[in-house]
Amino acid sequence: MTADRPLPYGDPAHLAAHQFLVEEAALLDAADYAGWLGLLCEDIRYVMPVRVTTARGAGSGTLAGMGHFDEDMYALRKRVQRLATDHAWTEDPPSRTRHFVTNVRTFPAAVGELRVQSALLLFRSRGDTREADLLSAGRTDLLRETADGLKLARREITVDESVLRTQNLAVFL
Amino acid sequence: MLDLAAIVSQVRRGMIPAHIYADPAIFALERDRLFARSWVFLAHESEIPAPGDYVVRRVLADSFIVARDESGVVRVMFNMCLHRGMQVCRAEMGNASHFRCPYHAWTYRNDGRLAGLPFHEEAYGGEDGFARRDQSLLPAPSMATRNGLIFISLDPDAPPLAEYLGDFAFYLDFYTRQSPAGVELRGPQRWRIKANWKIGAENFSGDSYHTPHTHASVVDIGLFREPRASKRKEGALYTAGPGSGTTYKLPPAGNGQSDFAGQLRYVGYPDAMIPAMAAAWSDRQRALVAGSGFMVSAATLFPNLSFVHNWPQIDAAGTVVPFVSLRQWQPVSERETEVLSWFAVDAAAPEDFKRDSYKAYLMCFGSSGMFEQDDVENWVSITDMAAGTMARRLNLNSRMGLTADGKPLKPPLAAAFAGPGLAYQGFGEYGQRHWLAQWSDHLEREPESRSVRDLGAAW
Repeated sequence: MTADRPLPYGDPAHLAAHQFLVEEAALLDAADYAGWLGLLCEDIRYVMPVRVTTARGAGSGTLAGMGHFDEDMYALRKRVQRLATDHAWTEDPPSRTRHFVTNVRTFPAAVGELRVQSALLLFRSRGDTREADLLSAGRTDLLRETADGLKLARREITVDESVLRTQNLAVFL
Repeated sequence: MLDLAAIVSQVRRGMIPAHIYADPAIFALERDRLFARSWVFLAHESEIPAPGDYVVRRVLADSFIVARDESGVVRVMFNMCLHRGMQVCRAEMGNASHFRCPYHAWTYRNDGRLAGLPFHEEAYGGEDGFARRDQSLLPAPSMATRNGLIFISLDPDAPPLAEYLGDFAFYLDFYTRQSPAGVELRGPQRWRIKANWKIGAENFSGDSYHTPHTHASVVDIGLFREPRASKRKEGALYTAGPGSGTTYKLPPAGNGQSDFAGQLRYVGYPDAMIPAMAAAWSDRQRALVAGSGFMVSAATLFPNLSFVHNWPQIDAAGTVVPFVSLRQWQPVSERETEVLSWFAVDAAAPEDFKRDSYKAYLMCFGSSGMFEQDDVENWVSITDMAAGTMARRLNLNSRMGLTADGKPLKPPLAAAFAGPGLAYQGFGEYGQRHWLAQWSDHLEREPESRSVRDLGAAW
């Protein structure tokens, strides 16, 4: 179902997908997590495999059966609910984050769905004495057309480090 | 100038000079006196199931290849080429019959033996000039396994592992031997935190006191029933051999009967797993669960391997599913630690249990876990605060559970706790003091002088 070449950048489907990702990033940087959940399909799968250093030609460079995230809607809702409590210390005071989304490529998928690849650079700053963290990742998303517009049905995050340089993933990518 | 004797004497009375959590001089002593000597966990046999499988793991700066050789024997080899010192294997994992150094192509079998050396005849005059035959990558000075857990010690005269583990082996089985099939590990997730490595090790060794507050949010959202303070202080804290840990008090069994299966069901184990747990554990281990009614939770095996067993609700229907995680606090510097966090599950468990238990793990612990997130925030902050001048003027109080004259606030549980070692019900820093006492023992002892291997010199 997947074309080899991305849609032209002027294609309305590509423009809609690109806008979706930029608007999503704006919600995350504003810590509007409830709003972010509204962009997700009820059957969302949100995964972030663990990367490993392997010899060239020796496998995928990801760890079998282990991710940093492997979430369904229940798990994501719990994470968002937690951040909204008065006791989520790791984000109180909150991080200052900036999700830089670029290299967006859109591919036609099944009817009513788009496969979208993007590059993400997440800048995360905490407190006033610590070095800031950077997380670099590629993302492959499945966007679905719904009555409420495009929604995220699946996201696979391919992080570019085998050892993350951030204290936790109390953030979404 | 470090006054080690003064530091250790403070620590031994339960007062901790705060700077030890961010002090480069202390870190150097830990490297030279503790990690150069202690048994340290590297990997689990299930991570390298087939001949040729390997993972590369470290003890501080020392890289080791942990490989299963062609005959199925697990080997641990120092990952440094004998010739010019390159890291022989630069992948983290894989499968290989040989490791070839990229510098001059010296090649080693996966049991460590030197198999190939280009131009042996022309460059060295053959065996006469360089005896290739008996060379191999340096093996770990000591290596042993327990329940498939592979430990090494940089001390060639380390006590036998079984002797070292002592009474902690009793508790280790709850995490790593839930059936005769043993456990399988997945992972590790790896990430770096700007925290001193000791803080995590101490936390898991016995800090039930932090749970109600640090982890209040996971109770707020209905993920976990147990951390409420009233519940947490009913648990027992034990010290045993080189380890210590926390437990939860299980609900009383019906009709005064001890009910092994009922207690395991309460924490979410399916009926399909319970007979194997009964078969794998001794009468005394079963009695801790059934008669005493305690279920293991967090633990630390000195120095830097910790365990956790929890039972969150993994779906909207409130299904309770337990998980086990092993985690290692790998020191990077006095202010930075690499965390390695594995998901562990009984190898013989039903596939749907493995799937659900994995979900439970991811929600609670590891790089994204909702418990772990708040822990790490605290530990980074402690390390920050410990680095300054004022921290050198403050001894932190680690005397919880002791009276002014150093006696336990209440007597240890005797018959009410079936496990070995010493156990107390309620809050107290028994495990942390036990961990710090071992830390003190190592730091006080002068490092041994070690023999140096000479490579292929003929005179």
